[in-house]
Amino acid sequence: MQKIKISRKEFITSTSFAGSGLMLGFLLPGIKAFAQTTNEPCEFFKPNAFLKIDTKGSITIYVARQEMGQGVNTSLPMIVADEMDADWRKVKTEIAPFGSLPEGSHDTGGSQSVLTDFTSLRKAGAVAKTMLIAAAAKLWNTTPDKCAADAGEVVNTVNMQRIAYGDLVCEAAKLEVPKEVTLKSPKDFKLIGKEQRKNNLKDILTGKTKYGIDLKIPGMLYASVERCLVPGGTLVSVDDSEAMKLPGVVKVVTYKGTGAPMHVRDGVAVVAKNIWTAMKARKLLKIKWDEGTKNKQNTTALFQQMVARSQQKPTIEKFKKGDISKFATTPSNSIAAVYKAPFLAHATMEPINFIASVKDGVCEVWGGLQLPDWTVNELVKQCGLKKENIKVNLALMGGGFGRRLHFEFAIEAVKISQLVNAPVKLINNRTDDIRFDNFRPANVHRLQASWDAKGTLQTWYHHVLSTSIAVMTDGPDTKNMAENLGGADSDFYYDVPNVTTGYSHVDFNINRGWLRSVEICMNSFPIECFIDEVARKLKKDPLAYRLSLLDGRPMFMTDEGPGAMKQYPQRIANVLKLAAEKIGYSKPRKKNHFIGVATHSFIFAKSYAAHAIEIEMLGPKKFRIVKVVGAIDCGIVVNPDGLRNQMEGGIAFALQQALKGEITVVNSRVVQDGFNGFELLRYSEMPPVEIYTIESEEEPGGVGEVGLPTVAPALCNALAAAGARSRTLPIRNEGFEWV
Amino acid sequence: MMMFDIQFYSIFLQIFFMASYQLNINNQQYKAEAEPDTPLLWILREWLDLTGTKFGCGVNTCGACNVLMNGRTVRSCQVQVRSCTGINITTIEGLSADGSHPVQRAWEEMSVPQCGYCQPGQMLALTGLLNQNKQPTDEQIDAVMSQQLCRCGTYHRIEKAVKRAIELSNQ
Repeated sequence: MQKIKISRKEFITSTSFAGSGLMLGFLLPGIKAFAQTTNEPCEFFKPNAFLKIDTKGSITIYVARQEMGQGVNTSLPMIVADEMDADWRKVKTEIAPFGSLPEGSHDTGGSQSVLTDFTSLRKAGAVAKTMLIAAAAKLWNTTPDKCAADAGEVVNTVNMQRIAYGDLVCEAAKLEVPKEVTLKSPKDFKLIGKEQRKNNLKDILTGKTKYGIDLKIPGMLYASVERCLVPGGTLVSVDDSEAMKLPGVVKVVTYKGTGAPMHVRDGVAVVAKNIWTAMKARKLLKIKWDEGTKNKQNTTALFQQMVARSQQKPTIEKFKKGDISKFATTPSNSIAAVYKAPFLAHATMEPINFIASVKDGVCEVWGGLQLPDWTVNELVKQCGLKKENIKVNLALMGGGFGRRLHFEFAIEAVKISQLVNAPVKLINNRTDDIRFDNFRPANVHRLQASWDAKGTLQTWYHHVLSTSIAVMTDGPDTKNMAENLGGADSDFYYDVPNVTTGYSHVDFNINRGWLRSVEICMNSFPIECFIDEVARKLKKDPLAYRLSLLDGRPMFMTDEGPGAMKQYPQRIANVLKLAAEKIGYSKPRKKNHFIGVATHSFIFAKSYAAHAIEIEMLGPKKFRIVKVVGAIDCGIVVNPDGLRNQMEGGIAFALQQALKGEITVVNSRVVQDGFNGFELLRYSEMPPVEIYTIESEEEPGGVGEVGLPTVAPALCNALAAAGARSRTLPIRNEGFEWV
Repeated sequence: MMMFDIQFYSIFLQIFFMASYQLNINNQQYKAEAEPDTPLLWILREWLDLTGTKFGCGVNTCGACNVLMNGRTVRSCQVQVRSCTGINITTIEGLSADGSHPVQRAWEEMSVPQCGYCQPGQMLALTGLLNQNKQPTDEQIDAVMSQQLCRCGTYHRIEKAVKRAIELSNQ
């Protein structure tokens, strides 16, 4: 067996985070030692790439991480503004121009934004404040230690004279940028930890917000693309004679697909003067595809294959502690179970779209990209462009969830623009958006546990099988293929002396990709269900049983060396206790009411969350969700309102996956072709939810993905309490109904 | 006979050829040259740059493209431009430019949006309902709002905002 340990975080890091997000704007090459050497006429003070103050005191904070609903365009500016003691009402935000910061600064994924940027953004704010104070001191003929900053003004602490930041701009801009700054003590935070509504809330509510799909550039044409339904299929011929007859059609172009990382399919693009004509004309194309030999696969057979494979040894051993083979396992002292979960689509409300303009080898693009640096590097490789000739304009996204970590659409748009020699906006219709998504992998898990005569757990075995993402993005020889974090790796958090976990990739001809919480969701579901099964088999209370394996267990490092992460079993226990307490776990329950719980650590986001779900059974497999309680410990909370919104929305996102979300494949074609097939959760299906937060001074963790992984297991554990466990998601496939 | 021919000819023209349409949107007159079957959605977004109306599915399954036509909620992806003349069309930009409409105020108070993409459609779905019925029952609200999809899953806050919008509308 190979022994490989590389996490998703490291994978993303190694492929795209070429620069360090912790670098500070004022330390970068190209940034002058003086904020602004020529300052006539003086208009603004811009001490680094993250912020600018004008003479009216208006502050612009440039946000490098991409906003897609997770709230970074509010939380990240709050960090800067707090440290500079700004008046929050005078703060506005803009997307930091691509290229103004080191490579990797714009990368947005893995719930990493706040935790990666926290210190660097605080320093950026502190630099501005230090310089403004120095400017005031100079003006007042005093020393900086006799001045303090307060809500957008500098105060002379001796005579209480005040001056607004805007009035200090010209003086501050002449000063040298300090190399060292002192950061506030967390107890002095004024914005961090206080609720703030979204920065662009009013624009959203009045329809002024421009997402990528709303952008227009002069002379822009529109493209609608026909692609082979079978991945890897190739174009044989196209008859565009009928399509070309439609007035407004400019050209029909064809291009070849690509291999890893993005697996662009062969395409036939109708380019027209407006999108409606492009969409209509596309239906008139007569295309012959060569589907290749992998055109008969289906998901039913895939699951059978995975279940059969799960009985054999894993391809890769991921984590080994003690020796499970030394403990005698018999039917009476052990249990085993197999869990399954399907392919899943992103289905962002904003369908995939992208604008590209290529002229004479000079390329400019517009749109949402979660990994813009990697995108640029691939555009260089796939489209014959020079890196210095590519300009990227990042745009707001109408939902991300990992969809735009992938960028096959950017390559497509650039190829089409090259072929028509004009700016082109590519818009996928909803059917394209679902069918040509990069799906969260289908996965199967075999778990086995055994205990001694006292009922103490002695062994834990977990074989994870999935259609690996890394095999898509890196090719079949990848060293990173295992997707075990979330408890099927060295981060396994229950106290069991003998543990073995492993991974096997099972190949399947469909595009796979990262979807919100990816492997943590995949692994938390079987682990948190299986520990429940063990408890029930041992006739122990599932909550108390979990706590017996967590409570009091000290922090441990997952590995040795630089990739090691901290795992805190106690924090996993604490969120579980909080969720259980708030749902009234120990109180008497109404007739036919049942509660299930689940907990976990989102290890590389440094956050911990648990859910407790109360259901009422209305029939053998019919139920209603009475309430969902979520508890989170993400260290210091930057914006409690944003945190709650993520946790509430996470419940909806995860319930969709638990109840009904599923992508199936027949004859290597995705069956679902829109919201009728890939059904989202609806308003009437949203249960009452409550979110609770552990107060903490630990370093801030991420929150975007942390609210998902424990929802499905908590629900299935509640059903199991009622005697109806489902080991398969979505549970609709097991005949469950809900109202 | 002659009358029939002329009528037939004009319908033929309307269906198959580019024409100019006068549209009353947010109390302003707009003109659009387009094929008669072009959905209002694309006229708003791509012809007139009223991009607050969102493309979500194009097939009447998500509600992101809602507008009001004479006060009633309509999916603009399902209406052809040729049937839009002589109707008062309200898009999110016209609900109120400053966000002062009770539904917008409720959405602001409850801090509803995440990505925000579906929210114009959500707000216009409720506005259309309240235009007909100032005190809808929970069942009536469910029937309308359950046709509006939100992938970020802001339903918990939408529910609170719906209740608040009803209060504000009845003040």
